[in-house]
Amino acid sequence: MIYREAGQFKTSYEKDSQIFPIAQDRYAVVALLLIAFVAVPLMATPYVFSAILIPFLIFALATLGLNILTGYAGQMSLGTAAFMAVGAFASYNFMLRIEGMPVLVAFVLGGVCAAIVGIVFGLPSLRIRGFYLAASTLATQFFVVWCLTKVPWFTNNSSSGVITAQQIEILGFKFDTPQEKYLLVLAIVAIMALMAKNMVRSTVGRSWMAVRDMDVAAEVIGFRIMRTKLTAFAVSSFYCGVAGALYAYCYLGTVEPEAYNLDVSFRILFMVIIGGVGSILGSFLGAAFIVLLPVVLSVIVHYTGLPNSVTSNLELMVFGALIIFFLIVEPHGLARLWQIGKEKLRLWPFPH
Amino acid sequence: MSERKIGDVILKVDNISLRFGGVKALTDISFDVREHEIRSIIGPNGAGKSSMLNVINGVYHPQEGTVTFHGEVRRDMDTHQAAEHGIARTFQNIALFSGMSVLDNIMTGRNLKIKSSFVEQALWFGRARREEMENRRVVEEIIDFLQLQHVRKTPVARLPYGIKKRVELARALAAEPKMLLLDEPMAGMNVEEKQDMCRFVLDTNDQFGTTIVLIEHDMGVVMDISDRVVVLDYGKKIGDGAPDEVRNNPDVIKAYLGAH
Ligand SMILES: Nc1ncnc2c1ncn2[C@@H]1O[C@H](COP(=O)(O)OP(=O)(O)OP(=O)(O)O)[C@@H](O)[C@H]1O
Ligand SMILES: [Mg+2]
Repeated sequence: MIYREAGQFKTSYEKDSQIFPIAQDRYAVVALLLIAFVAVPLMATPYVFSAILIPFLIFALATLGLNILTGYAGQMSLGTAAFMAVGAFASYNFMLRIEGMPVLVAFVLGGVCAAIVGIVFGLPSLRIRGFYLAASTLATQFFVVWCLTKVPWFTNNSSSGVITAQQIEILGFKFDTPQEKYLLVLAIVAIMALMAKNMVRSTVGRSWMAVRDMDVAAEVIGFRIMRTKLTAFAVSSFYCGVAGALYAYCYLGTVEPEAYNLDVSFRILFMVIIGGVGSILGSFLGAAFIVLLPVVLSVIVHYTGLPNSVTSNLELMVFGALIIFFLIVEPHGLARLWQIGKEKLRLWPFPH
Repeated sequence: MSERKIGDVILKVDNISLRFGGVKALTDISFDVREHEIRSIIGPNGAGKSSMLNVINGVYHPQEGTVTFHGEVRRDMDTHQAAEHGIARTFQNIALFSGMSVLDNIMTGRNLKIKSSFVEQALWFGRARREEMENRRVVEEIIDFLQLQHVRKTPVARLPYGIKKRVELARALAAEPKMLLLDEPMAGMNVEEKQDMCRFVLDTNDQFGTTIVLIEHDMGVVMDISDRVVVLDYGKKIGDGAPDEVRNNPDVIKAYLGAH
């Protein structure tokens, strides 16, 4: 009875189409943001920031990007890491080559470059779909990483291909410690998540879902299929590009092509599947799950006295099992389980 | 009949022929549709009725013939142009967006009214927000009109068949079309649902003056609500006229008896 919308009558469409129409949800989100912006920075250790929270947020952003393309627009992609790499290298080069380039502008421009690459590599989606599209995005993945490795201009002629990322400085404030970097990443991710939510509740989001669900009908009611698909590729790649830049600047501290290999693309795809296809909340749940899983497993392994080598194998096994579980039993992932839980709670304690 | 005024010809198809490989779906079909009328297309299974609608709104491109809409003559329509010119439709096999709610499905029908860019929508700012609210208001009127209030937020995949058909009509109406193409809107419904749907079609025609081209197998319904009827058989036109005329046309009687 605590979690109920009874008595909360919507007096305008404006109110009814709020992001969180139920008041309890709104309070929860405000509380969560307060915790994330105030409580966590006061309490977390540097290890927690740099090994858990920062990668979680960055992967959540990339997962959100892929979810826009795959979950909302229905276009399969295995090239997520490639778009991240474009974002990272573009940001690096903008900062390197343009005097006084503000960091945030460089991140945005990195995202824009990723969006352009996304549009180019999204062109095949106009003709092919499903498995064949996946194969073509796989080609994107290899091509982009190959390009970044082979063309010395991108890495500023560095011999190893590994470059130290420039320092982040915004309006004279330097983001050096894990805590500061966490706050920067958190702010960017929160804003971009809000923008994603706005898109999926507007016409652009509905155009993606329409094309995903029934493209002939979408065309007949006036959506332009080509523009819709390419917008999805552009927006998705923009998100991935910014995530890639954050990955380099706030997590790794280096910019290197190898950090964006196929493994990363798959990892993000798994986050989408486990978190929930076509869900913004799911993108966060999936990322949290996969970032936390190895940490939790290693703790378990540590306390049960099993050899450390077990951890990574165990991780693979749990991964595999979960993905099969979600694909077969609950294709809408953790987000759906969460929703079911909420629906139950809405009726509790009177289930009928 | 009601006193609504039937206007001039707004759609004319002339000598349309459409082939799929060796299959002649339509052969030399000509007819016209007048503003505000309810024009039915009937015929046995496989007669080419759905193909005809698909030609009218540009899903299929005929090999021969022309389509004249609002005085503009063309070889074939383009689906997007058709939508922009105010032609909306429903499909024989429900073509809703199954992953979306009823409300969102109907909202998609308003997409051509949207002027704001996706960047404005991402920022939920100014024009984007105003448009969303304005469209929501129109959609709510349609929801009331078609009595869909109780399923507003339900994912369409969970709805029973009859309601799905109604949601598809709502989505088409959301575009505020000049002409509505309905492909068997009452197929597979029970008597009560059919009556409801009939009423909605008539009310749409009456209240909004929407011109309606209707495919329907139920002869009772067709004869009741149509102003004029086209009869197709094996891709050819075998009858055209007022319901009574068509009913007594020997070719039509033969085609229907032959098919049963
Ligand atoms: N996309 C297509 N590809 C190939 N053949 C097609 C296609 N669409 C229709 N046809 C063929 O054209 C002919 C007419 O089909 P159509 O669907 O227009 O008939 P219909 O009158 O709507 O029939 P029904 O009452 O069963 O809906 C049929 O022989 C059908 O097989
Ligand atoms: Mg048909």
